[in-house]
Amino acid sequence: MAGNTETRTASARLNKKKKIFTRKMQARFLLVFCVVFVMFLVLAFRILFLRQRHGVDYTNAVLSHQSYVNTNIPYERGRILDRNGAVLAKNVVTYNVILDPSVVNANNGMYVEPTVEAITKAFNLTAQDIRDILKENPKSAYIILLKDRSYEEVRKFKELQEANHKLVKGVWFETIFTRVYPYGSLASHVVGFVNSDQSTGAGIEFQYNKYLTGKSGRESGYYDEELNLIKKTWPAEDGDTIYSTIDVAVQTAVEKNIRQFNQEMGCKNIGVIVMNPNNGEIYAMASNEGFDLNEPRDLKGFVSEEELATLDENGKVTKLNEMWKNFCISYTFEPGSTFKCITVAAALEEGIATPESKYNCKGVLELDRYKIHCNNRSGHGDLTLEQSLMRSCNMAMIQIANDVGRTTFRTYQDRFGFGFKTGIDLPGEEKGIVVDKANLNEVELATSSFGQGFNVTMIQMAAAYSSIINGGYYYTPHVVKKIVNPYGATVYEANNTISARTVSKSTTEFMRKATYETVVSGTATPAKVKGYLVGGKTGTAQKGARQEEVTDNKYIVSFIGSVPADNPQVVIYVVIDEVNSETLYNSSKPATTLTSSILKEILPHLGLYPSDGEIDYGVDIPAEQAEDDHGAKIEEVKEKE
Amino acid sequence: MENETPLNRILKKEDGGKAGTKKRVQPKNYFDYTLLFLIVFLIGFGLIMIYSISAYNATKYYSNATLFVKNQAKYAVLGLVLMILISKVDYHIYIARFGIGKFRTNLLIIAFVACLGLQGFVLFKGDGTNGSNRWLSLGKFFKLQPSEISKVLIVLLVAYIVYVSPKRLDRMTGFIRVLVFTGPLIVLVAIENLTTALIMAGIVFIVPFVSSRKTWYYVIAFAIVIVAGIFFIKLEGYRAARVQVWRDIENAPGGYQILQGLYAIASGGWFGKGLGNSIQKLGYIPEVHTDMIFTCIVEELGIVGGLFLIAIYVILLVRIFKISANAPDLFGSLIAVGAFTQIALQAILNIAVVTNMIPSTGIPLPFVSYGGSSLVFLMMEMGLVLNVSGKIDYDAAPNDLLSSVQ
Repeated sequence: MAGNTETRTASARLNKKKKIFTRKMQARFLLVFCVVFVMFLVLAFRILFLRQRHGVDYTNAVLSHQSYVNTNIPYERGRILDRNGAVLAKNVVTYNVILDPSVVNANNGMYVEPTVEAITKAFNLTAQDIRDILKENPKSAYIILLKDRSYEEVRKFKELQEANHKLVKGVWFETIFTRVYPYGSLASHVVGFVNSDQSTGAGIEFQYNKYLTGKSGRESGYYDEELNLIKKTWPAEDGDTIYSTIDVAVQTAVEKNIRQFNQEMGCKNIGVIVMNPNNGEIYAMASNEGFDLNEPRDLKGFVSEEELATLDENGKVTKLNEMWKNFCISYTFEPGSTFKCITVAAALEEGIATPESKYNCKGVLELDRYKIHCNNRSGHGDLTLEQSLMRSCNMAMIQIANDVGRTTFRTYQDRFGFGFKTGIDLPGEEKGIVVDKANLNEVELATSSFGQGFNVTMIQMAAAYSSIINGGYYYTPHVVKKIVNPYGATVYEANNTISARTVSKSTTEFMRKATYETVVSGTATPAKVKGYLVGGKTGTAQKGARQEEVTDNKYIVSFIGSVPADNPQVVIYVVIDEVNSETLYNSSKPATTLTSSILKEILPHLGLYPSDGEIDYGVDIPAEQAEDDHGAKIEEVKEKE
Repeated sequence: MENETPLNRILKKEDGGKAGTKKRVQPKNYFDYTLLFLIVFLIGFGLIMIYSISAYNATKYYSNATLFVKNQAKYAVLGLVLMILISKVDYHIYIARFGIGKFRTNLLIIAFVACLGLQGFVLFKGDGTNGSNRWLSLGKFFKLQPSEISKVLIVLLVAYIVYVSPKRLDRMTGFIRVLVFTGPLIVLVAIENLTTALIMAGIVFIVPFVSSRKTWYYVIAFAIVIVAGIFFIKLEGYRAARVQVWRDIENAPGGYQILQGLYAIASGGWFGKGLGNSIQKLGYIPEVHTDMIFTCIVEELGIVGGLFLIAIYVILLVRIFKISANAPDLFGSLIAVGAFTQIALQAILNIAVVTNMIPSTGIPLPFVSYGGSSLVFLMMEMGLVLNVSGKIDYDAAPNDLLSSVQ
């Protein structure tokens, strides 16, 4: 050992002279002491400084800890019901199982085995999984073990925990409300959906989110000195319940018929609106592109599997937006002959036409550089105003519109809401495109008179038509009837007041009769329903008729009608985009047939029952078979250029 | 002897007049009861604070509010017994030579070699707590931190090396000689527990500095240590990260514990929230009853309480200073200087860490923080100092510079 020799010499010296702590050393030690003392002073000032500088904000930070048991109590999102109380959207309570390893691992792991055992008995988890989690995150306090567990499983665990509450520790549950749509894809575009992040997409869910959303509650508490939990609870405020105007039975029948039609014939798209003309309530609104509200991001069924495989994220989003788009309010098209009702109503209202007015149809008319054909190429001959509607004569309409003049014609387009949003309480409504007054020249006015050359939405047509046959009262269409808060008080009631007057009673009387005659013996005979008085008007519009490139014949066929024709309670509007048929592609027959089939099913649901035995049609029914509505044919006469 | 308080002794100063009498035969010796009282007071204070601060977590995790305080109390009793025993054993025994034939040695050197071995052994076989192999299990219930033994031993060792030939320290080689002997132990400790090694290095630096008549070696050595320290921090990623946390405590990730400690200190006010009323102890400051205890003391007892605790440390250091100055020989004085350095460094570093004046490192607050091993060895060291105080001649006039200030 190196120190050995040192020791010896040291002890030798020790005997000679006692080594002491000299005053010089003391002085140096005092210097050290002073440095230490100064350091302590610095620390003391540091504490004072912390108090001075951060006292307020750090105290606040600590106070925010005081209520440290701070659990969020989720609110329940409001339900969406149909007009009769059938549930369109509701919530199911599920539980997230939360594991707190810091508690389970405490006390030398004495809680681990009992807790693991209880978890494995109640839930579908292996003991090894849980042990791994406990080992990997020993200090964590929040691990979501399982999601969306049912009450039964949770209750089983709680019973096990109750039986062994001293050793089963560190597991608790979070209540989760999951949005459920019991009818799946029914009325999907009207109801809308909620994303997992609580954002909403489409429909009532989006439009009325403010009402449906409640306010989260809070349970807060702190421990006093004796470790008693002092609790305070702010209960959650649940969302309001929405009563839709939708009738599940009607909607179901409509969608069933759409499916049947698609199976038998098929088309690019189809839209059906069923509404109450006397207050604007929508009973049903459907298209053939519904989607499952419980799986709103599932493109299956909308896109073929091969195509789905090729889509990237952006492509998928585009497709999803397409799928979520509501055909009945977001798609614009040329309405075709159904618009003739508006042309005629305008002329009647202005006194320019009377029920006695006569028109002549030669089958073709040359205007400017266009040749416009009537649906009857050889011409209808002499027609009354009523007959011009019944037989859907374009030439008569051109004459009427010409008589009305572009200024008045435009005024009536405005008055019936074309070119404006109807204000229906659904997101994504389009307003269509109407031709400006300045551009409404001879040809434009002529084509506009029979519903071509400008775009409308289905809901615009349905609302406008409703006002014509209900006495001239324009009601804003809507899908929500009323909203009731959790205490049962009505917080919102749909405004059923008239938002505009369109036509007078006498015009309505004429139109009711004319549309009735159209169904009885005009172009819309397939729309008849046994035992009911059905009135209505067909429409067949060539898509993009005046665009030079359009060579293939694509048509939108439609029917708009009301029941009973003499006192309408229901308006139905059926639009079929590109019927998949070689013979009927430009015929309104698919639309009228579909309408009849739908009406037969839905009318009893709406309290309209067929009359037994003989029904008084009130008019003479001609023996001859009525002609079909093939729409207008507009040709550009190139030679003239 | 029991009636003799230091005050009495100071009052008797005038008529004492027999300075320099160092007879061992009639031990009318002094015993620093003030120091004993301060130590017992600090430990008692520590126990109260540990109970106040750990009860919540002990109940929450172990269903036993007194778990920590009872544990600590057991160690305190053990420490007290060992302290009294050591204070009765003449400190010269540790350096008394014995041996067979030519081979002569003393207890201190044997202990030093044993400690080197133990420190090496723990590197390979120790139990990890929070990732470091610092613990040595002795049986089922007793765990030991060998670095705590090393810390006590280094005090004795440095004092002994200097005592053997104090004049050598006037040359640089003298200081290097001290480093050569103590270096291996410090390095072994440093591998696993840098903070303890730092305190040991502080002792190895201060004791020769006090004994030397030169200053500039130490200035140079100090500068070298600072530069090396900066390089070392840059070299090791996790230490650099701690520096980052220290500079931006409110935003840097990893600053949670210190920031919560600052919340506690700043929210206590002048007189605190009252004993037992800390909010930050309710799970917000991790391991609050160990290294972070000072923060909750300030939260509960206020700035006044914190300053009071600092004042107690200063008074304790004054007592050790006086013992050092009046010790009968250089060895005893230097033991006191070493002990002084250890307590001062630990207290300063601990409070500096929790007030975020220096980057975070784990140092217990002497006598107060929870931790049995640390407490027991610190008390054993105090036993040594008390023993030194017991060798002061009761009749001798106080010979320290602080007394002349009084």
